Amino acid sequence: MTDRHEDDPAGDPAESGPVALSEAEVARQEIEAAKEREAAITHLEPGAGFGKRFVAAVTGTSVLVTILSFVAAIVIGGVIIALTEPAVREAFGYFFARPGDAFREAWDVVSAAYVALFRGSLGGRAQISETLVSATPLILTGLAVAVPLRAGLFNIGAEGQLIAGGMLAGLVGFSVTGLPLVVHLPLAAAAGIAGGWVYGWLPGVLKARTGAHEVISTIMLNNIARLVTAWMISTTLFRRPDRSDPISKSVEASAQFPRFVDGLRVNTSLLMALGLAVFVFWLVERSTRGFELNAVGLNARAARAAGMDPDRTVIRAMATGGALAGAAGAALILGLQHRLTIGFSAGLGFDGITVALLGRGRIGGTVAAGLLFGALRAGGRSMQAQTGTSLDLVLVIQALIIVFIAAPGLVRAIFRVKADDLATGQVAKGWGS
Amino acid sequence: MKTTRRMFAAAVVGALVLTACGDAPEEETPDAVEEPEATDEETEGDPAEEEPTEEPAEQTDFRGCLVTDQGGVDDQSFNQTAWEGMVRAEQELGITADVLESTSEADFEPNIQEFVTQGCDLIVTVGFLLGEATEAAAQANPDQNFAIVDYAYDADYDNLRELVFGTEEAAFLAGYAAAGTTESGIVGTYGGINIPPVTVFMDGFLAGVRYYNQENGTDVQVEGWDGSDGLFTGNFESQDDGRNFTDQLLQAGADIIMPVAGPVGLGTAAAIEDFGSGMIVWVDTDGYESTQYGALMLTSVMKNMDVAVFDSVQAAVDGNWEGGLVVGTLENEGVGLAPFHDFEDTVPQEVRDALDGLRQGIISGEISVDPADYS
Amino acid sequence: MHLELRGITKRFPGVVANDAVDLVVEPGQVHGLLGENGAGKSTLMNILYGLYRADEGEILVDGQPLELDGPGDAIAAGIGMVHQHFMLVPVFTVAENILLGVERTHQLGRLDRARSSREVRELAERSGLPVDPDAIVEDLAVGVQQRVEILKALYRDARLLILDEPTAVLTPQEADDLFEAIRGFTAEGRSVIFISHKLREHRAIADRISVLRRGRIVGTADPRTATEQELANLMVGRPVELVVDKPRAQPQDIVLDVTNLVVQDLAGTTLVDDVNFEVRRGEIVAVAGVEGNGQTPLVRALTGLETILSGDVTVSGVSVTGRTRKDVLRAGVGHVPEDRAHDGLVADFSVAENLVLNLWDAEPFAKHATLQFREIDAHAKRLVEAYDVRTPSTATPAGSLSGGNQQKLVVAREFDRPIDLLVASQPTRGVDVGSIEYIHRQLVAKRDQGTAVLLVSSELDEVLALADRVAVMFHGRLVGPFPMPVSKEAVGRMMAGADPDEVLSGEPR
Repeated sequence: MTDRHEDDPAGDPAESGPVALSEAEVARQEIEAAKEREAAITHLEPGAGFGKRFVAAVTGTSVLVTILSFVAAIVIGGVIIALTEPAVREAFGYFFARPGDAFREAWDVVSAAYVALFRGSLGGRAQISETLVSATPLILTGLAVAVPLRAGLFNIGAEGQLIAGGMLAGLVGFSVTGLPLVVHLPLAAAAGIAGGWVYGWLPGVLKARTGAHEVISTIMLNNIARLVTAWMISTTLFRRPDRSDPISKSVEASAQFPRFVDGLRVNTSLLMALGLAVFVFWLVERSTRGFELNAVGLNARAARAAGMDPDRTVIRAMATGGALAGAAGAALILGLQHRLTIGFSAGLGFDGITVALLGRGRIGGTVAAGLLFGALRAGGRSMQAQTGTSLDLVLVIQALIIVFIAAPGLVRAIFRVKADDLATGQVAKGWGS
Repeated sequence: MKTTRRMFAAAVVGALVLTACGDAPEEETPDAVEEPEATDEETEGDPAEEEPTEEPAEQTDFRGCLVTDQGGVDDQSFNQTAWEGMVRAEQELGITADVLESTSEADFEPNIQEFVTQGCDLIVTVGFLLGEATEAAAQANPDQNFAIVDYAYDADYDNLRELVFGTEEAAFLAGYAAAGTTESGIVGTYGGINIPPVTVFMDGFLAGVRYYNQENGTDVQVEGWDGSDGLFTGNFESQDDGRNFTDQLLQAGADIIMPVAGPVGLGTAAAIEDFGSGMIVWVDTDGYESTQYGALMLTSVMKNMDVAVFDSVQAAVDGNWEGGLVVGTLENEGVGLAPFHDFEDTVPQEVRDALDGLRQGIISGEISVDPADYS
Repeated sequence: MHLELRGITKRFPGVVANDAVDLVVEPGQVHGLLGENGAGKSTLMNILYGLYRADEGEILVDGQPLELDGPGDAIAAGIGMVHQHFMLVPVFTVAENILLGVERTHQLGRLDRARSSREVRELAERSGLPVDPDAIVEDLAVGVQQRVEILKALYRDARLLILDEPTAVLTPQEADDLFEAIRGFTAEGRSVIFISHKLREHRAIADRISVLRRGRIVGTADPRTATEQELANLMVGRPVELVVDKPRAQPQDIVLDVTNLVVQDLAGTTLVDDVNFEVRRGEIVAVAGVEGNGQTPLVRALTGLETILSGDVTVSGVSVTGRTRKDVLRAGVGHVPEDRAHDGLVADFSVAENLVLNLWDAEPFAKHATLQFREIDAHAKRLVEAYDVRTPSTATPAGSLSGGNQQKLVVAREFDRPIDLLVASQPTRGVDVGSIEYIHRQLVAKRDQGTAVLLVSSELDEVLALADRVAVMFHGRLVGPFPMPVSKEAVGRMMAGADPDEVLSGEPR
């Protein structure tokens, strides 16, 4: 016989007496428990590899943590501005004699820098134009990383894909002549998108068919793109006929994205970027392809068991990412620079990684992060010009954001965000093993 | 975990306390408080702050402004050299020097525009990448003076000075000296990328070697450049590439090597140190002073961009401004051959003696510095 | 070790995981801790092991209060724990794993491998847990890895051993070996806390059973006198039906026809060896067998997840050999996979999305390549209702449901499609008693609607309760199916490879 605690609510089922815990009560309790877990659990297959865990950690990060990461990066950036300023260091030297000095100095320097940063990005028409100009390629390279990220792939190759796209867009832009704008511009932009598509498709196929890790293959393809560009721009196909500098011919006016307003650099490539963002939103969040993409990214085995083809999805995800990076190249060359030079990509593909991470792999988030980084860039230029704070500060802030987002536990520890205690523990443990 | 965190915090606080016990300056001296406003105007890492010199002879309100390309002012290459010229003008002419660093092509236009708006008296841009942006700005602002380093236009503008360099003239002298000094009869060179600013060095060097052969009936070989093609690392960053290329040249028997690839050349120095013998011909600046490998520097082909920038500022300050092409040559000392320093005794006397005559010959045009003119 | 927990309470935000739990473990006792998933068993054990700190209550070891600041303190106090998910370094050898942190070294810190290896071998033999000290852990079967975990605790001289769901990963034979070893520990005076939600195991090994429900101890029982029915009722909190009540089967035409099926792995080892059988509409054919005898590749081959080397599989007269998984599923095959977490669900997808996981691009859930969320959600609401899936909403991530409700989700998805054949593989593994009951009823209901059902299970009781005909797999070969009734002993003997003719000749037909 069973012993029984006196406060047992269940009565004595062995005697099939009245059951205190009704079926409805059991159901209610199960639902409550599920709610608790919904709030607390980050799901990961046991034995998931580093890449999967990283992707899960990023895409599973809450909006709050993302914002706090940005705040933390801004604060630490401020500390760095203050500490690199000789006057502040000097004032801290006699901190105990007159502490007010040190804080006043630090406050003056930091606030001046950040005010310049803010004014330079949003302070007027011209500033907003510059922010949008800088944001256009960042939105696209951010999406180029975000889409494969949703399929569980880490596309480090946006840089190379951007180069491939820019090269092709530029080539069509200056070597084809005599077409009207409505034909030539879409043609050149499409060439750029196609170039990036192929350059993203390649590591996708390598991954799906041979298992070659996309991180490694895309890094290598970046190098190839960079070196091939350096060589190709010096060839007569690209180089300006009357000069020997490694600068390409200029894109025909009929293949240039028209500006909205004379005198402001913001141009219609922004519309292409936003249009593609809307398309990608549909693709990833609303379409059947996106359903496959997400399923494969979250659990490839279950996706396969549901009748999906993970290999093909991997290839599609990488090719789509490549196409978006290619569009970034087209936007850059046809919208802004109008010519190709060695190193025209300027690390925008790598910045795309930061943008996608800050956007947590979500489409809307990535667009927002692209705009934010565009503002940081435009504002950073102005900050440099007005307060002499080095442009590198913007890079420091970007890098700090990555650090904080990649280690959400750190942000939670700093800001004592409690709600996700358990989840952090799990992810953190996973990282260590 | 918690304990370690506390200990760390304690250590940090302790360190801060120790460093923060200095004396406050007298309340009456307003400098310390005023300073941030002053420094706000200046650039971070401004060498002028680090090495305060004697007060400039006279203060002017002339502003000299510099826009770099993606390399930035600390690129140990032409951006840095051009900036040094600007800093020298600040010290000696009492001007105010400012700089804006570009991180991508997209920055060129707004950076130049920023300086135009701020009312700089002279805007100097660095590198061929800024060529178009500078030209456009000069056309749009005819009353604003510009100068561009390392770029020449087909058309000349009154308000735009093109600072280019006849580097091949100095490289010719280096090639001659190397040919006269080599013991193996083989000298080597390699470049970053096969583009004119790089290959002019190699052309001059090759011409110098060939001229030496012609004059002295010798057969000194140049590895790495034949006048149209040669060894190129494909970048201006990888010291490992420099090391590999140098090993290759050393294996081929070269004992004097001229790397024309910026910091990649430091890899050459490292490789020669490991190999145990060999000498370097540095480029752009006097490598004896600008690198830590002075003991390996036979000589350097100097491209005095700082001088050209300084001269441009001076011309503007003095009211002698002229636009158009300004070529740095042996004659005006825009380019030159550095001293042999530690190798003064290694270079044969007759070679050293010949250099002066060659210099005159090049200046007068009697001696060609084009390798195609020699066989 | 005499262990006493007094009034242990642990709260997580919004939930009381342990509520004033009292527990006494005598020296030499196997104390069974019984409870459904989420009842608070693991939390309690993590407190005892120093991983969590209790909000209230105290732990007494041999009458002395014990302060735990981490697992290190627990280990020092003689408490060892074998987690459900092993904490081993896969690329290290057995001996290296066991000695990790307490390495035997020569002077200057060089590892003394020979001595480590010898000590581990001796310990393994003494404890009745044979294992090669020099084998690499990732090469070992799961059951052997578990032995390594136990040896790790024993090596640190654990006087109380906590085993968290140790049989979940074991075959019946391995489980028996484990029970044998456990009896050895208690004979030496060690205590064991044995956690499981399987009633039978508690009756087989425990000296005392405490039942945990919703964070509280709701009863203790003597396994010699308590019936499984009593324990189940106590655990679930209401009367539970353990026997499946089903009408006689009405088999009709053949749906699944398997002829000469052969499956090999990449290395060329034959996993399924010339298997022939058929399943008719309206009957349940159950395949019994010790795990690892080819049931998994058989099911994978039938459902289009594994390449068929030779032979043929037809469903309703149409060959599905060599077809893609999608084709097989759309040809009217429902599949409840054995590994729910890996194959059945996308944990981060919502309940609604999981319910259309294999119909995502079919009408009416997708039109013009666009997902129709209204349809998907309506579908989900209907299924959640019909299949009693307990979820806060259809937008809840499937991973936050309990194991049983996750399985109901899979069952709902597979049962609700128009299917002719249902392949259910270990459909009640890791599922609480209440859900097991429900799933069994649903399987019978599906049969009675005229679906052919193939059930693969390593739970012999389940096979016997549900089967209309029973087959047994052994070493890749399939014998049967034989019409029920077949005795439990007969099936057990065939699972061990006995000749079916011999076994069945003594059976009452």
